[in-house]
Amino acid sequence: MRKRLYNRLAWDGIGKNWKLYFPYILSCVLTIAMYYMIKSLALNDGVQAMRGGDSVVLLLGLGSWVVMIFAVIFLFYTNSFLMKRRKKEFGLYNVLGMEKRHLCRVIFLETVYIALISLGLGLLAGVSLDKLMFLLLTRALGGEATLGFHLSGEAIVSTLGLFAVIFCLILLNSLRQVRKTAPIELLKAESYGEREPKAKWLLALLGALCLGAGYAISQVVDDPIGAMFWFFVAVVLVIIGTYLLFTAGSIALLKLLQKNRRYYYKARHFVSVSGMMYRMKRNAVGLANICILATMVLVMISTTASLVAGAEQAVRLRYPYDLANDGTDEYTAAWLSRETAEEAAAQGAAVTEEVSYSYLAMYVLRQEDVLVTSAVDGSPEGVAYTEGIAYFITLEDYNRLTGENRTLAKDEILLYVSKADYDQDTLTIFDRTYTVADRVGSFLGNGHVMAYIYPSYCIVVRDEAQLSYLEENSIYELAMFWGANLDADDETKIQIYQTLRQAASEEEGYFGSLECQAWERDELVNIYNGFFFLGVFLSVLFMIAAILVIYYKQISEGYEDRRRFEIMQQVGMSRLEVKRAIRSQVLTVFFLPLAMAGVHELFAMSIILQFMDVLMLASHSIYYITAAVSFALFAAAYAMVYGLTARTYYRIVSPNGSVNVLTA
Amino acid sequence: MIDLIDISRVYQIGAEKVYALNKANLHIDQGEFVSIIGPSGSGKSTLMNIIGCLDMADSGTYLLDDTPIEDYTENELAAIRNQKIGFVFQSFNLINKLTAEENVELPLIYQGVGKAERRQRVQEALERVDLAQRAKHLPNELSGGQQQRVAIARAIATRPSLILGDEPTGNLDSKTTGEIMKIFHELHQQGNTIVLITHDDDIARQASRVVHILDGKLSEVKI
Repeated sequence: MRKRLYNRLAWDGIGKNWKLYFPYILSCVLTIAMYYMIKSLALNDGVQAMRGGDSVVLLLGLGSWVVMIFAVIFLFYTNSFLMKRRKKEFGLYNVLGMEKRHLCRVIFLETVYIALISLGLGLLAGVSLDKLMFLLLTRALGGEATLGFHLSGEAIVSTLGLFAVIFCLILLNSLRQVRKTAPIELLKAESYGEREPKAKWLLALLGALCLGAGYAISQVVDDPIGAMFWFFVAVVLVIIGTYLLFTAGSIALLKLLQKNRRYYYKARHFVSVSGMMYRMKRNAVGLANICILATMVLVMISTTASLVAGAEQAVRLRYPYDLANDGTDEYTAAWLSRETAEEAAAQGAAVTEEVSYSYLAMYVLRQEDVLVTSAVDGSPEGVAYTEGIAYFITLEDYNRLTGENRTLAKDEILLYVSKADYDQDTLTIFDRTYTVADRVGSFLGNGHVMAYIYPSYCIVVRDEAQLSYLEENSIYELAMFWGANLDADDETKIQIYQTLRQAASEEEGYFGSLECQAWERDELVNIYNGFFFLGVFLSVLFMIAAILVIYYKQISEGYEDRRRFEIMQQVGMSRLEVKRAIRSQVLTVFFLPLAMAGVHELFAMSIILQFMDVLMLASHSIYYITAAVSFALFAAAYAMVYGLTARTYYRIVSPNGSVNVLTA
Repeated sequence: MIDLIDISRVYQIGAEKVYALNKANLHIDQGEFVSIIGPSGSGKSTLMNIIGCLDMADSGTYLLDDTPIEDYTENELAAIRNQKIGFVFQSFNLINKLTAEENVELPLIYQGVGKAERRQRVQEALERVDLAQRAKHLPNELSGGQQQRVAIARAIATRPSLILGDEPTGNLDSKTTGEIMKIFHELHQQGNTIVLITHDDDIARQASRVVHILDGKLSEVKI
């Protein structure tokens, strides 16, 4: 009998609060479905078997960790919000004589039912959408998808385990909140007004410092490999800064405005400043959450989309020739030339262009206009590859490569510098000082400059004698580059490439490493598409979260504003004044996170570009364009979500439609 | 039936100790209708919380039906509230998601009263406040006065030893206030013990006994 009673109360608790619980259960279902899908894809042999599949599986594995951490925080937070809204209800039960352990029992049952419903529906949705995701992924990776039902036992077990733990945490938190509630608080809350929030100056200052430090780091970091680490430091600082500024900073700012008597004691400012203060007090954490989620979506979409958009350009810069062999010698170059022509003819294709040239490459440490490298006696020792590389070729090869017809005087050079600024007019190496006769564009054509993330100094010297002098004085030796273009389709090119590789492995005199643009394009495009797939996948998840937070905020603001609207009219403000005040406050509150997310993204750009270089982003302008486009799209989506959820708000503020606030 | 002996309740505000109740003594007999009147900040709410077993005194003894309250755990207090005290609040405190009938039924469910008896007692309670025909309505479909009548029905359905009203007419207009007070008088005549807390002189004077509270001290007012 008693058991049935608690059961009934639990179902009633969910059913009677359906407006709050429906979005919560829906988010649980979607989060569970998304976790199952990403886990199942990461474990799918079909993905593994595709070109670049290893990297994609690794990415998906990382992605499932992100989903996991996110699920814990997000569901935990949402449930806390629900419990807070039901606090009064629980307090009343307690006053009317329900013991806390019985209250706990009801909450336990509620949580169990929600967990069962969510896991059931979530896994069902996950399993049915999993195939669709697999098809999308194989399409993105250009693979062949096999049709058929796929069920991953391991992913199901992993999902059940993870969410069992999450629901346990949620339950413990709910029970803690109930235990904390004293029935007396419920009665107190009725008689005392809401206290005006206090300004926490120290926290506000700390927030500003954290945000400033995060922004500063993102601007000054100038080391692509270190950028990864510093990026995380900056992200953590910015997240802390965002939370502190939204919570303490906003209140402090409003307090300052309040102190400014000339500003504050004007009817319009008076209402909006004090109104905003309470609004920020209630919503700060939720808004900071929206801001962080929005920033993550923006960064993920803009970076992954720009990689995909720039993939073709990146491939062309990194692999300028259809076939290329680097670090070769004259014998191999001649052998390749012969073999390629023969093989191309056999496949009905032809070689349209062929180049080969000698170059000297050395690790250099730059000091003003002096390039220091290890001399033939080995000193100085250990100039690291992280400092920079200098490439030297002769003027003759340069003219042949570019089709130009330049001349150089003695001790004159042509210079191209990548990923560094070089303003000096002279360049000294091994005690010889050269004059920079002209700056030229990228000319090497071997893809090194693109692949190498540190500064490259590409130098054209006058003749062989100069090149020999450098070679004799350094510990480095001359190497050769060979490249050829073919008029054939990608499949034929790959066919020729594979035949050549086979032949090279049997040729004793062969030296170097053979690369094929068409082959590498597939690999690179697949990895970038994998990134993009994951970016969109996680963005969808974060958007769901942001939408839910906005929806809940609209509900809670609606209830607050209904009271506020009545009171403000009672104290004699005109309907129009109230309408204006509330509307501008609500808009500020909801669009503040979007604006802040935009600023975050703007500051993140510089550091993101640093490690996008590592991922071979072809040109920075692609990134700027995708960032702008993704912000515009996101802002439009955000405004749409705001518009839709605002209907709930209006319905609460004017339940009968009689008090038509704000809508006009 | 109610004995407050040297009850004190102290709040620490900063470095200062504030006596919300200072050695207060009060005796209320079975079947009495007592009103407690005092301005805001006089310790009214604290007294009401202590009588209602929502809060504990720092010193002194509170005997409810000759049993000292201090000996009970928090859970036992919940059971005592459920069985011995019927609350009527200024802001009604109905659960918006439940119908009038379900709101009245709620404390009976906690008491473990069987279904058939529950039905009957809910019916009786609603009839006594003249709201039987509104049993299926949700609180927001009822007027303020009607909502307060549902709250009173909820308070009496458990057949408590004491009906405790905390400014029960504070949110109502004068006509509705009259209706609610009429119900309290009827309940009194039927033998219920009633304690009303109010800051309104007119309301207070309707009780058979008026206790004045000021700065945490109680004094009787002769009518």
